[in-house]
Amino acid sequence: MLRMALLFILAWHGAAQGQNDTARDLFADYKSAILQIRIIDLTSGSKSTIGSGFPVDDSGLIATNYHVIQLAASEPQQYRIEYLTESNKTGELSLVDVDVVNDLALVKATDLDRKFINLAPKEPEIGMPVYALGNPLDLGLTVVPGTYNGINRAGYHPRVHFTGSLNPGMSGGPTIDREGQVVGINVATAGNQVSFLVPVSRLQALFAGYKTRDAAIVNMQAYIGAQLLADQQEKFSRLLARDWQSISLGESKVLDELVPFVKCWGGSNSSDDKAQFLSADRSCRSEDNIYLTSTFATGILEYQFIWLEANKLNPWQFYSYYERLFGDFAPGNRAGEEDVTDFQCDNGFTQGTSGRQSKTVFCLRAYKDYPELYDILFLQGSVDDSDRALISHFTLAGVSKDNGLAFASKFMEVSQWQ
Amino acid sequence: MAVIIEVLGWGGRRRQYYQVDADQVSIGRGYDNDVVLPDPHISANHLRLDASGDGWAITDLDSMNGLQVLKNPSPDASVLASGSEIKVGRTRLRIVANTHPLEATKLLHRLERDSSQLNRVSVWLPLLLTVIVVQIVALYAGTVAEWEWKNAIPVILSAQLAIFVGALLWGLVGRLVKQEAHLLGQYSLILLASLVFTGCEWLLSTLSYNFNSVLFGETVQQLVAMSILLLLLSANLALATNLSSRSRWSGCAAFVGLLVIVGTVGQMKRWGEFSQFPQYSSTIATPTLLVVNGQTSEEFLADITPLFDRADEAVLKKE
Repeated sequence: MLRMALLFILAWHGAAQGQNDTARDLFADYKSAILQIRIIDLTSGSKSTIGSGFPVDDSGLIATNYHVIQLAASEPQQYRIEYLTESNKTGELSLVDVDVVNDLALVKATDLDRKFINLAPKEPEIGMPVYALGNPLDLGLTVVPGTYNGINRAGYHPRVHFTGSLNPGMSGGPTIDREGQVVGINVATAGNQVSFLVPVSRLQALFAGYKTRDAAIVNMQAYIGAQLLADQQEKFSRLLARDWQSISLGESKVLDELVPFVKCWGGSNSSDDKAQFLSADRSCRSEDNIYLTSTFATGILEYQFIWLEANKLNPWQFYSYYERLFGDFAPGNRAGEEDVTDFQCDNGFTQGTSGRQSKTVFCLRAYKDYPELYDILFLQGSVDDSDRALISHFTLAGVSKDNGLAFASKFMEVSQWQ
Repeated sequence: MAVIIEVLGWGGRRRQYYQVDADQVSIGRGYDNDVVLPDPHISANHLRLDASGDGWAITDLDSMNGLQVLKNPSPDASVLASGSEIKVGRTRLRIVANTHPLEATKLLHRLERDSSQLNRVSVWLPLLLTVIVVQIVALYAGTVAEWEWKNAIPVILSAQLAIFVGALLWGLVGRLVKQEAHLLGQYSLILLASLVFTGCEWLLSTLSYNFNSVLFGETVQQLVAMSILLLLLSANLALATNLSSRSRWSGCAAFVGLLVIVGTVGQMKRWGEFSQFPQYSSTIATPTLLVVNGQTSEEFLADITPLFDRADEAVLKKE
């Protein structure tokens, strides 16, 4: 028995040794291909942000994340982009194409003669060892071994779940398989070895699109606006075409998980002996956070239901608690004064098909740089029962008028207290 | 002709008077004078008045601190006419003939005439109890945790203390100006105003909950609050002072106007300031207070469509 355990440990040790050897070889082979991408503030002459990038062909085309070069894309008169090689050579980069929805960008160097890294033609199998490369925290080139865990469906936009630690500065670097082919682009981390990559297929699409056009984007703002508009159009036409299922919450029917767009969570205070009333809630959210600037994210879809029963409270007390809760809703995405207008709100009473009366609030704000896109906050609370109530809420970030209204209409139809 | 020597106090009010039926009047600290004044700055024999035509000639009897004529209606400076004011030592005196015309009798303000009704425990106590009951009901309705008197009593007591201090201040003013505090009357006025304010606030919020209209919005609510304050202040002043109704109202209006201006200036900082958070009407009231019928969801969505245009306009405005 002891002998078997010993063998097992040795075998495992052997495997780990093998992985480290691969990492070392890959590092030696590809370290010259990994570049640090720096955004230089023209006034101070210093770097404002750093990330990683890698050449994807022999013409000097380099892939990175949109969020790495965003400052230079939004304010080209204030920032420029440059690369730094592992041998401390620097050079100018120009922005040629972006895919904001998938957080990708292509920049081009004129004087770079580097080995490029091939893009993997197909997705690797789940469980395969892969290696993330990049410049974490400006500490120099680093390799992080981890496991490929397939495409994650927590949101509408696919992300590869990578079990390994990505750190700031590694954004935009490649994750490669044992053959040295790019399987994903480092993009985000959720901590504790849970990290995310943009699937390589997205980079292939961007690369192919640029190759056919073969010219840099002239009006970046309009281009990004068109991408956002097209993305929400596709997402909502798929979403609205689906059959929305309901699930019960208290005595009401509410919208269930809209697989594969959102994930739901729930809770209640029913185990609290001191509770004067019953509150049960269900919150659903898509993890589609499209990065636009450090203070502005869009793409989020979230909805929430709260079922309340008065129990020990009399109607006046119940409604005063309910009123406090009703006044406490805010949008799920960050946005600043440069990005959006103030919220415009209206409210009224609505009557569902079951005859239930609700107070309904509709708020929206327009995007200043991207016409036809809005953030919408919808809130509805039943007002015709003195000791029970249902609150329904949704926020849509970066949606068109038509899609927002169609979503609201369908939402009100499905989520009802009969 | 009898001469009346009035000793004036704070605000030019008469504290004491001496009537002397003689053509010659001596004034001083000594007991041999016609008018004996206790002021230590006055000499034993300070001055003398001699009747001269319609007035009096004044003679300083070599006093240590002299005398000062403060006011003399006569064109002839050597003769003091009826209504003159002089200062001897630290004492102000007014010299008038007994034929001096009186000011017209002032009509009591309605509130004061009724003060026998207002300034009574039988008015004050029911008002006090009503206010306390209303406050307990409001506190009870707003409590989600288990009701505990020990939490409610400090709130009620501190509210009553604040009202009492207000009434006390007005009472003090009344005591100084009119020698009458009307403490219970002032207390009752503030209680009444707080009841009216609570009622109006409740009515407006119920209306604004049912009818989404600017008519019952925040501006109107503030306007109503300011009007109630104006009425209260004017009533307080009427009880505590002798101001004419015109100066009373204009004073109160000026004060309330100032409050509005200060409040508006305070809010001005926030005008046009960006907020991430939507400012929506979050009023929810019990079903018994709901009197309107809801629209269908299609009607509602059609009605809110102009919001999109408003947001688009806001984009253009900022550019």
